[in-house]
Amino acid sequence: MATHAQAASHDAHDHKPHGWRRWVFSTNHKDIGTMYLVFSCVMFFVGGTMALIIRAELFQPGLQFVDPQFFNSMTAMHALVMIFGAIMPGWVGLANWLIPMQIGAPDMALPRLNNLSFWILPFAFVLLLGTLFVPGGAPAGGWTMYPPLALQAGDSFPMMIFAIHLMGISSILGAINVVVTVMNMRAPGMNLLKMPLFVWTWLITAYLLVAVMPVLAGAVTMLLTDHFFGTSFFTASGGGDPVMYQHIFWFFGHPEVYIMILPAFGVVSEIIPTFSRKPLFGYESMVYATAAIGFLSFIVWAHHMFTVGMPLAGQLFFMLATMLISVPTGVKIFNWCATMTRGSLSFEPPMLFALAFLFLFTIGGFSGLMLAIVPADFQYQDSYFVVAHFHYVLVPGSLFAIMGAVYYWLPKWVGHMYDMKLAKLHFWLSAIFVNVLFFPQHFLGLAGMPRRIPDYATQFADWNMVSSIGAFGFGFSQLLLPYIIIKCVKAGAKAADRPWDGAHGLEWELPSPAPFHSWEVPPSAAVIARGAEH
Amino acid sequence: MSAPAVRIAIAPHCSLTPAGAWTFFLATCGVCFGIAALLTLRGYWPVLAFAGLEMLLLGWALYDSLQRRHRTETIIVTENSVDIEARESGGVSRTVFPRHWAQVRLRGDVSPLAPGRLLIESGGKRREIGSFLTGQERQRLAARLAPLIGGMAESPPLPTVQPRG
Repeated sequence: MATHAQAASHDAHDHKPHGWRRWVFSTNHKDIGTMYLVFSCVMFFVGGTMALIIRAELFQPGLQFVDPQFFNSMTAMHALVMIFGAIMPGWVGLANWLIPMQIGAPDMALPRLNNLSFWILPFAFVLLLGTLFVPGGAPAGGWTMYPPLALQAGDSFPMMIFAIHLMGISSILGAINVVVTVMNMRAPGMNLLKMPLFVWTWLITAYLLVAVMPVLAGAVTMLLTDHFFGTSFFTASGGGDPVMYQHIFWFFGHPEVYIMILPAFGVVSEIIPTFSRKPLFGYESMVYATAAIGFLSFIVWAHHMFTVGMPLAGQLFFMLATMLISVPTGVKIFNWCATMTRGSLSFEPPMLFALAFLFLFTIGGFSGLMLAIVPADFQYQDSYFVVAHFHYVLVPGSLFAIMGAVYYWLPKWVGHMYDMKLAKLHFWLSAIFVNVLFFPQHFLGLAGMPRRIPDYATQFADWNMVSSIGAFGFGFSQLLLPYIIIKCVKAGAKAADRPWDGAHGLEWELPSPAPFHSWEVPPSAAVIARGAEH
Repeated sequence: MSAPAVRIAIAPHCSLTPAGAWTFFLATCGVCFGIAALLTLRGYWPVLAFAGLEMLLLGWALYDSLQRRHRTETIIVTENSVDIEARESGGVSRTVFPRHWAQVRLRGDVSPLAPGRLLIESGGKRREIGSFLTGQERQRLAARLAPLIGGMAESPPLPTVQPRG
């Protein structure tokens, strides 16, 4: 940055472009972050609508509203939209908004690449959602696209593959930008172990993305060539190995799970100290635990496919490696608890979401441990227990963390405080209904209800009805979120530069709303030291 | 007594050293190509192609970002001249303008993808400075240079106390 440092004055210098050009050509990290978050919110409601179609169909036994093919399309599309359209862009949006502010950089390292990585996404999802209207319907073989089922899809198949390639390109561009920004754009004095945990978790997430995305791209390309060009990578009749596809897919897919959850750890590590008014307990152990989880995520993939058959040694290795993940994850949980111990706790909406994350993600973690045990997994495989497990990890895990992050940083972004009562109402409705929605699915799975079926035996009727009521309650209560945000953007009490008295970090040294360019001149060493009081 | 020259040095900030970038890049290549090589040995070679493309992109991104560290621009304003010395990895270039006939011109943003330019012009010659700065930084630098250099056919007195810079 320029050495002609002058005192930063951020009052009336936001010479930003206006109109549609501001958004289409934007290279500003905040604008691009906003677009990612808006896109994520839209996709959340699209994917949520698909979930409601699924739960409406499952409200009672028998076929009510949709045919089985469309039902299966909904399960596959719901997963693809939520993973690649809602959760991942949500995290990339937060990374765009926060990382430059938190490391004292004026913007991302590669702003044009940043623009490109966002604008690829809408095209990818137009393509993906367009499959709903082609002959044969949308992909219905699950988001994992296992061959040979996936190869039997209709016209939607190449569209889905191309859409996944575009999403992958977008993710890689975003990840490379984050890596280069964090490595090269940190303010003088902001060494790696002074970085906020959100930046650390994103750095490791970006590294995971860079490592595994070529595997996904290769896997789906091989599916495409098997389908159209006569290759036999995964076609058994030609000497290919369909089970190998599962290995390759989950070699990408398991780190992908951590890609969706590691930034959540970072957000919770920011929120809990703020509302406990204490520094984070064990900052360095949190960093190392995150790195350990990142490493372990590469060597546990086969726990998703114990039932395909593998040598006993393989089963034992993947079982034990999976259980090992609970150690660094436990370090995190205990550190958050230790941070709150004897803290001066207050329960504003971000803290409520962080606490719900802590409790409910732990439930998802425990059911994950159950699934890691090979003989038990043989019982749970492809049952609603698995559905309950990963939804506990992703909804009150990733999604609640994103919502907590939005409530935490919203005053900094827009310069207004939001309606606390409504936000708390949003939290309580979400927290109650998410459990009504997903907890009964444990019982259904343990009782033997398979996943991805539009009809079921009457013995599963009661808990399915409860789960569907929870789904509609949860879904409709989410309408509060955009309402609260829009209301906050338009009006509200002026937010202080540091609206939460326990907040540390460089972003709180900036005025609210944050200026168009974050750090015109690098923050001073004193400011960095103040911000690095983890 | 003549006023001392005003010297302004600008440089982009980099927190990554070339050695650090190489270490990071090679480690990432090791992981990516290691995974891809294992799959290639089993016949799933398309992964290697995608890994190669991705590492090329990462390499370019690191290289592009690191180019910042080789750049410095020094603007020396004396009683009679405006001397601009730009150092890049490719070498050093120097442009000298007669101060009396030089002026500072800040062109506004044409579009967010074509950001504004800060130019020093004289007699049909022009030289861009601070292209690595943000828009606001360029505005600040322009605001500082304009009174030092003055308009065309103007030689305002230089400050007698050396400003920060």
